[in-house]
Amino acid sequence: MSTMETLGNKAAPESPAAALLFPSVGWFEALAGLMNDDRETHEHLGFIDCVAQFTVLDGAADGGPVAYQITFEEIQATDVREVKPEDAGRESFALEATKATWREMIENISAGGGRPDLEHTLNALSHIGTPIALTGSDPLERDCYFRFNQSLQQFVNASAQLPTVFDGD
Amino acid sequence: MGQPSCTPNDIKPLPVALPLNEEGLAFYEKKYQRDYNQWTEILQRNVERMSRGSLSLEWMNTDGSAWGKRAKPSSRGLTYSDVNKLPTSGEMPATATWMNFTPRGSIRDRYREEMPVIDDYTVVSRDELWAGNVVTLYEEAVARQWSATRDIPWGELEALPEDLEKASCQLFTFLTEVEFVAGDFPAKWLYRIPQDFLEVKSFLATQLMDEARHQEVFRKRALAGGGLLHASPGFEWALKAILDAPTHTMGTFLLNLLGEGLILSIFRSGEMIAKTHVDKEIFRRTLQDEARHVSYGVLELKNYLDTHPDRAKALEEMHRFADVGEQIILTAFTEATVIEPVAILLGGGLDKIEHGLEGMLKVWSMFIEEYLQRCERAGFDRRARCKIPVDAPW
Ligand SMILES: [Fe+2]
Ligand SMILES: [Fe+2]
Repeated sequence: MSTMETLGNKAAPESPAAALLFPSVGWFEALAGLMNDDRETHEHLGFIDCVAQFTVLDGAADGGPVAYQITFEEIQATDVREVKPEDAGRESFALEATKATWREMIENISAGGGRPDLEHTLNALSHIGTPIALTGSDPLERDCYFRFNQSLQQFVNASAQLPTVFDGD
Repeated sequence: MGQPSCTPNDIKPLPVALPLNEEGLAFYEKKYQRDYNQWTEILQRNVERMSRGSLSLEWMNTDGSAWGKRAKPSSRGLTYSDVNKLPTSGEMPATATWMNFTPRGSIRDRYREEMPVIDDYTVVSRDELWAGNVVTLYEEAVARQWSATRDIPWGELEALPEDLEKASCQLFTFLTEVEFVAGDFPAKWLYRIPQDFLEVKSFLATQLMDEARHQEVFRKRALAGGGLLHASPGFEWALKAILDAPTHTMGTFLLNLLGEGLILSIFRSGEMIAKTHVDKEIFRRTLQDEARHVSYGVLELKNYLDTHPDRAKALEEMHRFADVGEQIILTAFTEATVIEPVAILLGGGLDKIEHGLEGMLKVWSMFIEEYLQRCERAGFDRRARCKIPVDAPW
């Protein structure tokens, strides 16, 4: 688990050797660091207050699910953690997809230089529940995904700056 | 000799005289010169004091107030939540009794007798307005404003094949037509709400601004893509039903919870099926605003029901209202001017409209389920009574 002190201004790795593994807590920490470095963009988009969970349905070593929670406060990502049983229910909403779906999205964003094509935005992938499913037990909390959608898109778009390697490569 | 710069055909008719406002002006003069004489007494008193060369300085007297406590900003600035912690901010009353513009928290009791009464302030019950998230949503709205002129990459807009361009422009025409009821409705109630409910008034003002921007961005997009297309009577009746709602809570349910929930779904679909990055950006921006309006609608209804002295009766009234409202909203969302363009965009062309209609079946069911979940979250179970079919009517 990382908090804002450790996430703040963490630069993206500079050499291919420092490529980060997806999915991993390190990958999400680096993404959070990029957000915290890019204060100007996020200040322009406005406050974002929610806990977003990214679930990789087949991301664990045994092929089961692994999930990461990112806490957003004001214009920063203040906490990143791999979800343990005691963290269940902290999230405002969860985005659930297979490793292949997440990989396709990340590679598409990278190919677009930080902007996905028309088919690979978070909303386009999640709107009809597949290939990304939006879940959350409280409809009001789940609506945070919509209230902060542009900031969340910006958050994942920054992954174009992260050299990423995928499990199984 | 060159061409004359003006021909007889260029001469426009003289402007028609503006109507005179004799009657209204005479009424106003009578009111303020004869009937309302308290302001003249105040004027006289002040002039007399000033002509004696005497100062009042009564406004420096803080007896009976908690003056001197200073509001402290939090990390995000000085929010309403920060200042509302202070006793000097004044407590929001359950029933408003100040029917004028005096700020809540000001030293005002001693002036009550001399104050005018604003007859239009008729929504005096906090629980016809309040929602537990209204302060958060106001601050969020202010922080997340955007500009339809500046924040959309208009320069990237490319012409689409004719069927997709027409479908896009029809969808944007529909959205232009519906957007401003979501501005007119809060506007209709805004001036009826006393100042002591300033947080609610402020949130409604952000909704007005949001809707002005939505109408602006959709209108600009249609005009940038070829023009506005067809208006629709089916929407018009739904919009009128919203505006005519008998109470603020009923109208907020119909507009914010049901109508804007549906519009949020259309924006999400719009983003998914957008054929240009311009359209994607438009829908992502607008859906964020819309989700705030929906959130207010859910908790406003919940607060209304939770605080009502006769919950069973309040629920039955809301059900009766929803029975009508849902059917009228359904009329709007069966209009060809919205269903067909969305189906064409979803399918990928006029020749694939059937495929698009099929895809919309899932979106329809998802929307109804989301609507019913939002109702449940507000403590208003519509599952057994919902007049909108769970399956799309095609
Ligand atoms: Fe709107
Ligand atoms: Fe709205």
